Amino acid sequence: MRAARRSGVGRHAAKGPAPGGAFLALVLHTLRLQRRGAIIWGLALGLYSAVMVASFTTFSADAEQMNQLLEAYPQELLDAFGIQNLADVRNYMNSQVFLLAPLALAFFTILASAGAIAGAEERGTIDVLLGNPLPRWQLVVGHYTATALSLLGILVITGLMTWGTALLMDVALSLGSTVAAVLNLWPICLFFGGLAMLCSAVFHRRALAVAIPAFLLFAMYLMDTIGRASESLEDLRPASVFNYYGSAIEDGIDWPNFGGVTLVALLFVVLAVLVFRRRDIYT
Amino acid sequence: MSAAIDTERLTKTYGRRSRGIERVDLTVEEGEVFGFLGPNGAGKTTTIRTLLGFLRPSGGRAWVFGMDIRRRSVDIRKWVGNLPGEFALEDKMTGEELLRFFARLRGVRDLGYAYELSERLGADLRRPMRRLSRGNKQKIGLIQAMFHRPPLLVLDEPTAGLDPLVQEEFLEIVGEVRGEGTTVFFSSHVLSEVERISDRVGIIRNGRLAAVEPTHELVNKAFRHVRLDFDAAVDPKPFAVLPGVRDLKAEEKSLYFTLHDNLDEVVKLAARNRLLNMEYERPSLEEIFLTFYGESENGGEE
Repeated sequence: MRAARRSGVGRHAAKGPAPGGAFLALVLHTLRLQRRGAIIWGLALGLYSAVMVASFTTFSADAEQMNQLLEAYPQELLDAFGIQNLADVRNYMNSQVFLLAPLALAFFTILASAGAIAGAEERGTIDVLLGNPLPRWQLVVGHYTATALSLLGILVITGLMTWGTALLMDVALSLGSTVAAVLNLWPICLFFGGLAMLCSAVFHRRALAVAIPAFLLFAMYLMDTIGRASESLEDLRPASVFNYYGSAIEDGIDWPNFGGVTLVALLFVVLAVLVFRRRDIYT
Repeated sequence: MSAAIDTERLTKTYGRRSRGIERVDLTVEEGEVFGFLGPNGAGKTTTIRTLLGFLRPSGGRAWVFGMDIRRRSVDIRKWVGNLPGEFALEDKMTGEELLRFFARLRGVRDLGYAYELSERLGADLRRPMRRLSRGNKQKIGLIQAMFHRPPLLVLDEPTAGLDPLVQEEFLEIVGEVRGEGTTVFFSSHVLSEVERISDRVGIIRNGRLAAVEPTHELVNKAFRHVRLDFDAAVDPKPFAVLPGVRDLKAEEKSLYFTLHDNLDEVVKLAARNRLLNMEYERPSLEEIFLTFYGESENGGEE
């Protein structure tokens, strides 16, 4: 009797988007929401990088004197900050920009990913969004994909401003080195974004989904920096994602590390999907 | 006729301290308008959110158009237009941008009905959400629930924040979609509107479904307000002791009381005097609801 009553939806025709249509719509929607923030991040980081390129020209003529001056510093300290030869613009840019850039740029992915689930619950937007026929995994993966693409946009802006300034100021910084430097930021920022997405899926509070990856970001940075400066603490470095970051502007991209870190980031996202599929949504 | 919503001992608990819903058995037929009543915290929103897959049931089962809510939540949402009770929309986007986004999520190409609803409800689709009042956001919420013409509308407090003219227009629209065969399941605090448009009402109390009745039956079988005017003052005591007579008041030549049963004896007793006028009024659904709750809280129910 009861089974017979559950017969169907009567006269209404079946509806739904084309396969992949909802996912694409969600990615485009999220990109649109992130667009302004991504441009601001790109311009801010690009401006800082461009200023550093420009500043190189002011002392490059005296770089040898600078290097002699730095010899007075302990080698461990110079290693910690990636300083080897300031007469080389690539080493200069690595120590002044790209070694520190993940500390700032990772916050773009952390904030974006934390807002995807826990943030949407707090804002109260998730009920209307998931009132549509959108599987939960698509919400997680779609949001993360959009964040990864927005991050790429930030890196393109940063790279163009860096390389453009180098061209204008006649600094010997090649396009290849610049591309390697900015592209190398992608996996490490995605790593912390993936971690934030996992925290956003586990906890219902955005603050936790921001605080936990932010704490690990600084802890791992310190762990790697101290590990480089102290032989006794060097064994800690493999536990830090910064150990696999390297100096792509000088050495090119280390593709196995690039792929490995990206895979771990994706693993976080898979875990976020598994957790989010099983939990209640609160608003 | 098949069931649009069917639940079997549906239970959702939030832990030891916080109550959700318990063993809710409910059937909403296709094409009916079902009003879901209960005060804040009674379990209305929990029931709706569980049916739509936002909350995982702790026990029991439920189906929407025959589809199991645990396994086919995404399919169910293809057929449902949902207005959440507490919701927000992306601040930066306009109503039109949001509707286009939702249309893409649903594979709907024609936004003609969305524009028609917007016109009728007086919604501003061009302003960003952050610049809209509570009532205007509610209109966008209603439009996003209805624009794709779903066979089931699940509306949590749909008229909250709307001005009376827009409420009237909304009730008109609900009447129209019912005429087209749409099932409407809605919760509300505004009992007059529930009484006006619902075929049946369900009353939920402390997480349990306390009653489900056709609206007119619930109203008909309830108490009545009675006023008797005589040509001279009468002794109220014989009326006060009659079974079914409550809250009796005597004022000069008139008696006022509520009658829960036993009309025959009241009329016979009144006829012993010279009766000039008799008023016999049914209460509003609101009064019934409050009385029902009052009795239940005192252990008169369950």
